[in-house]
Amino acid sequence: MTTRETDDQLDLLQGTLDLLILQTLAFGRAHGHAIAKTIERRSDEVLQVGHGSLYPALQRLMKHGLIAAEDGISENNRKARFYRLTAKGRKKLYHETSRWQRFSDAIARILTPPVQEGE
Amino acid sequence: MTWWKSRSDRLDDEIQTHIDLETQENIETGMSPKQARHAAMRKFGNVLVAKDKSRDVWGWVWLERLWQDMRYALRGFRKNPGFTAVALLSLMLGIGTSIALFSVVYGVLIAPYPYAKPNEIWAPAVLGPNDPVRFWHPYPLREVVEIGKLPAVADVMATSPRSVMLTGGTNPESLYGVYLTGNAFNFLGVKPVIGRTIQPFDIHPGGEPDAVVVLTYQFWQRLFSGDPHALGKKITLNEIPYTIIGVMPPRFGWWTSEAFWLPLSTNLADDTPIHAILRLRPGITKEVAEQQLNQLNVRLAAEHPQEFPKGQLRTVLLNYMNITTASGEMSSSLHMLLAAVGLLLLIACVNVANLQLARTTTRAREIAMRLAIGAGRGRLVRQLLTESVMLSVLGGVLGVLFAIAATRLIVILIPPDYVPNEARITINGYVLLFSLAVSMLTGILFGLAPALRSSRPDLVETLKDGGNGATGSSRARAMRSWLVVAEISLSVMLLAGASLAIRNFTQLLNVNLGFQPERVLRMGFTLPPKQYTTFEQRNVFDRNLLASVMTIPGIEAAALGNGGMPYSSWESSYAIDGRKPLSDDQKIVGSFISEKYPQTMGIPLKRGREFTESEIENVSHVALINESAAKLWPAGVDPIGRHLKLDDLDKPFKPPLLVPPGNNSELMIVGVIGDAKNGGMADATLPTVYLPYTMIAPPDRQIIVRTVGPPLAMVNAVREKVRELDKSVPLGRPVTLDEVLGEETQQPRFNMALFSGFAALGLMLAAIGIYSVISYTVTQRVHEIGVRMALGAKRGDILKLVLLMVAKVAGLGLVIGLCGSILLERIVRFEVFAKTSFDSASLAAVVLTLSAVALLAAWMPASRAGNLDPVTALRHEA
Repeated sequence: MTTRETDDQLDLLQGTLDLLILQTLAFGRAHGHAIAKTIERRSDEVLQVGHGSLYPALQRLMKHGLIAAEDGISENNRKARFYRLTAKGRKKLYHETSRWQRFSDAIARILTPPVQEGE
Repeated sequence: MTWWKSRSDRLDDEIQTHIDLETQENIETGMSPKQARHAAMRKFGNVLVAKDKSRDVWGWVWLERLWQDMRYALRGFRKNPGFTAVALLSLMLGIGTSIALFSVVYGVLIAPYPYAKPNEIWAPAVLGPNDPVRFWHPYPLREVVEIGKLPAVADVMATSPRSVMLTGGTNPESLYGVYLTGNAFNFLGVKPVIGRTIQPFDIHPGGEPDAVVVLTYQFWQRLFSGDPHALGKKITLNEIPYTIIGVMPPRFGWWTSEAFWLPLSTNLADDTPIHAILRLRPGITKEVAEQQLNQLNVRLAAEHPQEFPKGQLRTVLLNYMNITTASGEMSSSLHMLLAAVGLLLLIACVNVANLQLARTTTRAREIAMRLAIGAGRGRLVRQLLTESVMLSVLGGVLGVLFAIAATRLIVILIPPDYVPNEARITINGYVLLFSLAVSMLTGILFGLAPALRSSRPDLVETLKDGGNGATGSSRARAMRSWLVVAEISLSVMLLAGASLAIRNFTQLLNVNLGFQPERVLRMGFTLPPKQYTTFEQRNVFDRNLLASVMTIPGIEAAALGNGGMPYSSWESSYAIDGRKPLSDDQKIVGSFISEKYPQTMGIPLKRGREFTESEIENVSHVALINESAAKLWPAGVDPIGRHLKLDDLDKPFKPPLLVPPGNNSELMIVGVIGDAKNGGMADATLPTVYLPYTMIAPPDRQIIVRTVGPPLAMVNAVREKVRELDKSVPLGRPVTLDEVLGEETQQPRFNMALFSGFAALGLMLAAIGIYSVISYTVTQRVHEIGVRMALGAKRGDILKLVLLMVAKVAGLGLVIGLCGSILLERIVRFEVFAKTSFDSASLAAVVLTLSAVALLAAWMPASRAGNLDPVTALRHEA
């Protein structure tokens, strides 16, 4: 998780980084730096990935067989490790996304003032 | 582990790439390269932590940390060679000796026997109302058969050792052959190495056995050099050719490990008592079987009262394991040595504990420092644990090596007759694990306990304190002092035990034997009873043999007879001048001798005269007595010319012993000779009467010769004389009297050697303990000593200060140890030392030895303290 915290930048919730990585990889393979950048960009720079915390997460996902790694060449012609989703990872992403959806819907319902019945 | 390495490298590369890419991006947004790199690094965070956490995910971190801890521990050991060496030495000696001795005890006392289910074999003992439990009750064969018919009994077998003549070879021999019932080998369930065992079909329905023999491994090796073609060959036993049908493995030693087994005749008319053992039917308890057996015994006792004890009978089944494992003296001394080695192991453990305590206390500052810079408590404990375990493992390895050497030494020292035939002493796996576990546990426990305590100390205090341990560690210091007290008292107990063993041995060596055992050779011979059938034939042979042996040059004197060479077993009740002694139980020992017996044995004549040749030849009823027997007469009465009546001479002697016609039991005393030991070196001399050997004519006799030169050099000359007279007469193994006595001193010598060894080791460990603690304390108190010196204390004062500290600890240890040993001696009363007890001289020696060792151990650190330069000492702050 990031160590810097400002009003408009949020720390990642525990476990959400994994989900975000999986989601990022759903569009195709990417290397570590690209994953970090994508997450930041797609959240309009609200979510800050401490780049250091990305690598333990990647190792964790590999260990569980959700992603796989292969060697490749980066856009600036450098040797890099590219990650891609496995079938298991894709299934996991689907489950986790719907779970996350239900979770955030629930939170939203509590936080938004209830609409009075009959009005 | 190259793949692991490469994974690690790959991670490094990957992170490097990431940072490079980020830097690149930053440059593109217009930062200077330096700024760009800086920003990238900041964004990434702690690179090392990221790497570490990633590696954590792989799950190999514990191994990596272990390796790290081990390297750190090794570095620590190298930096503290004194500590390491002492701890390893303690562990090595403690573990090594305990493994070695436990192995011996296991092999001799508790090792499983090679027999099938040995714990299910029972031997019956029949006791009178007040009898203590004894081994076995010998039954004649017909009664053994009845035992087999009891419903509780599944199987019964019987054993009977008998003297057997081996003839036909170059040297006839007399051996103990073991006769067994036909089912015996199946009962014991052991397979032969070659051939087959004795089977029920080897005994004919009429009871007569076939002439077949199964050899012990040793006999097979000795006579046939292990040749498998020995099967089917014949050996002549008791003048009958026996066919060899099998050879047993070396570990099988049922009643003999040097001769052979023969089938026992099942002729029910034979009432020779034999030894029965049995197995019970499944589901039958020992108590039920005892009850059934007792009913049988009561019935048998009614028929043959003379075979059973008088009064109410009790039948006890004894487990065979308890009977055959070394019993009596050997078992007692092994138990005692086990206790000794237990003490030694304790001392070693205390030593290690003490060293660990001292070391961790000095490391309090290091530990506080590590905690202060953020080490986790668990991590710290793991680190200390690794160190303790490594030390213990190293010590354990050394201990095992030491144990192997020590076991060999003990096997060499162990007296051969005191261990069962089946015992095989080897390093025992369970024992090894046990000792290792005990000492490792100690190392770990004492390495960890202070670690746990010091891992949550008041950091500020400890750091401020500069690791002097002047505050806070006073509890640890007290604990260390108590450990030294414990060590010293344990050493005192070991020393006291050793002093008993030494005294026991020297007492035996200095015993006044009453005869001169040097240069005396003893040989037994057996006249084949079928050839020598009459009293005359036998005694003519004996007389001729004695006469011809005396012509051998180099022989000073020779005598022949039964008993008194030097020990006797025949006893008889008696009457002196017609008066019976007060108690019926009072007996006198009898020995049958020839006229030159006193000269040959070196027993001085005190009064009267010795036997004449014609008295022996004419079977005169004359007797010599020893001085103890002379005291049976009232004080002031000269026994010479008086009369002694031996009751047992009246009883009808059974064949094969023969007596001349007209024998009677009245004897006239003609002389008194000196007291000579006749029941064992450590036993009191019993009143003894010596009679002319011609009064009886057993087939077995013993001949003793006193030689001018080395006695064993005369063996062949004597053998030649026997052969000249009759080459079918077998001779027993020749022994010197020194050898006979040597066998008696073996056991005490073994005890003494081991006990002294253990005591020396214990003392050494205690000395190390004292040294390390005092030297540690001096180091801790350098500053204080400096202050004292600055205030005017002289070198002597400082010496006194340190030595006083030692004296307190040693004195307390001594007192506790002495009380402990006296208490132990009172309570335990080791059978081995039944005849020896503590005396003030040996206890004083113990005290002196220990004090000297304590002083010596303390002297070096004390004088180091005394020689401190006060300025340096004062500066020795942190």
